[in-house]
Amino acid sequence: MDDVKRRISSYISTSLRLRLSLWLALAISCMAVLAGAFAFYSAFQQAHELQDDMLRQVATLASRHQLATPAEDRADDHPDNDSKVFVQQLGAQTAGGLALPADLPDGLQSVRADGETYRVMVLGGHGQRLAVAQETSVRDETARDSALLTLIPFLILVPVLLLVAADLVRKVFKPVLDAAAAVDARAEQDLQPIGSAALPSEVKPFADAINRLLARVRLAMDEQRRFIADAAHELRTPLTALSLQAERLAATSLPEEAQTRLATLRQGIERGRSLLDQLLSLARVQEPSDAAQTQAVPVRQVYRQVLEDLLPLAEAKQIDIGVIDGSDVQVIASAIDLATLVKNLLDNAIRYTPQGGRIDLSVYLRGTTGVLAVEDSGPGIAEAERSRVFDPFYRVLGSGQEGSGLGLAIVHAICTRIGGNVNLAYADTARGTGLRVEVQLLAATP
Amino acid sequence: MRVLLVEDDAMIGAAVQAALRDASYAADWVRDGQTALDTTACQHYDLVLLDLGLPGKDGQNVLRELRARNNPVPLLIITARDALEQRLRGLDGGADDYVLKPFEMAELLARMRAVVRRKGGSATPMLGNGVVSLDPATREATVAGATPVQLSNREFALLQALLLRPGAILSRSELEERIYGWGEEVESNAVEFLIHTLRKKLGAATIKNVRGVGWMTSKGA
Repeated sequence: MDDVKRRISSYISTSLRLRLSLWLALAISCMAVLAGAFAFYSAFQQAHELQDDMLRQVATLASRHQLATPAEDRADDHPDNDSKVFVQQLGAQTAGGLALPADLPDGLQSVRADGETYRVMVLGGHGQRLAVAQETSVRDETARDSALLTLIPFLILVPVLLLVAADLVRKVFKPVLDAAAAVDARAEQDLQPIGSAALPSEVKPFADAINRLLARVRLAMDEQRRFIADAAHELRTPLTALSLQAERLAATSLPEEAQTRLATLRQGIERGRSLLDQLLSLARVQEPSDAAQTQAVPVRQVYRQVLEDLLPLAEAKQIDIGVIDGSDVQVIASAIDLATLVKNLLDNAIRYTPQGGRIDLSVYLRGTTGVLAVEDSGPGIAEAERSRVFDPFYRVLGSGQEGSGLGLAIVHAICTRIGGNVNLAYADTARGTGLRVEVQLLAATP
Repeated sequence: MRVLLVEDDAMIGAAVQAALRDASYAADWVRDGQTALDTTACQHYDLVLLDLGLPGKDGQNVLRELRARNNPVPLLIITARDALEQRLRGLDGGADDYVLKPFEMAELLARMRAVVRRKGGSATPMLGNGVVSLDPATREATVAGATPVQLSNREFALLQALLLRPGAILSRSELEERIYGWGEEVESNAVEFLIHTLRKKLGAATIKNVRGVGWMTSKGA
């Protein structure tokens, strides 16, 4: 409970928008109260003045026409009793009249009589003095009613003003929130500067500072990628020297035991070479994609090209490899990326499919998505491992294979780069064997 | 045949030079670009092997200057950089082929032979992949160790298409294009029929089928 309170109070103290809204609301309310009080007071006063004027006019009128209130008029059951105006001769004791002191001075005054307060206008002249009186509470009530009427516009306007203020604050802060949402929605490789043109000038320095930081991060990431690429390139030269020496050694006449060991050595060199190639591929595909290189690529052509490269490996293991018939699909990608992706998937499939197994490639359309699928008859990947196999250098234990551990990481990086998805499943769900890798890419609309 | 090797790495240079000598080439080895240009100016070579990453004047500049001097010597680039555009720039700049580090000597020697053959214009008319060879003059196909077999026109056209680039997979429609002229009516199953007869004549392993894609001859034996 305390925690919630603390969080709310910290949100209020840190949210500029909320603070601005609250202060605006407070200011509007204060102004409304002050203005309302003033309006009420002046309307109240005016109503009194008006009533005094009325008393004065009645008195003048009554004195001219020698009028006094008839006694029976002052019955308490008169329906309009409250608003009644008494007109009587001062000094003369009239039945039903008010007990007003005879020595009241001329003019307006408040007088207590019969337990009530009255506003009395006394007018002299013609030898007799005329008093016109009205109950103060009635006068006050009428004045209050008319003064309260002046408050109605405030009561309507204040909520409207509060809503308008809240809306304005929201609109003013919208560019900031929009920018934050846009940054949130970004892929992790996207280090493009934040568009600060639409931002308010108070927030702009922040955005600019973040942009400078982004630029530095991008530089550092580029450097790191370049370092990986350079290191891999540099390693190629000594590896070449090593493999050439081993090859020359193999050409000499060696005892049988030395030849076996040399064969192992050359296998090791070969592994180093393919690891370097994979590292370079990974470094390349982790770079942000170059939109100029993406185009509509026919998938079947890529399948064929990759099959031409990898068929010798499949033949060596007597794997029946083929493409399921169907119409071709074009996807939006760079041709090199797509070939690298298919090559890594197929290389994995050949690696983990046992001797005499089967691999099927297929491609089809699902709505606007081009689906590329590779199914093999290998052991498959357990569900618990599926999220981890995309990590670089992660290998499923006990697979007994000498892969680089980078194949699926490369596939994943390419998918991220060209905006696709990759899913793993069992090829044979019932028996829980075989791997089915499904890659979803945006299809080109013909 | 005299070969100039331009390579700055001592271990690779020595190994390649020795391997070239083993393969009966006269091999000279220089370690930087300027020396390479000076040497080619006063000595005729049948082939230049050029490493791109050289100290001082790099391989691209050497290549550009060599071609600017109108030296048509066949030239093979050796590079550790495999960025596609860099390779293409090498070929655009007048290189005849490239090998990627790390390479095997056998591959380098094969590419050297191919480049010299292409440049010399004496490309052998025989097609083959080590398993089967085809003589365009007589339309005879020979499986290693067997007597030549006479092929029909269409059988020949189909096998020739498959042997032009061993290892390449050709689809049915591509094969149909090769065996039928314009305006000729394509018979259904003609490709399957021709492959069947070719396999009967030359052995089932000569032409391989890749499910859903097409047919191919294997790449080298």
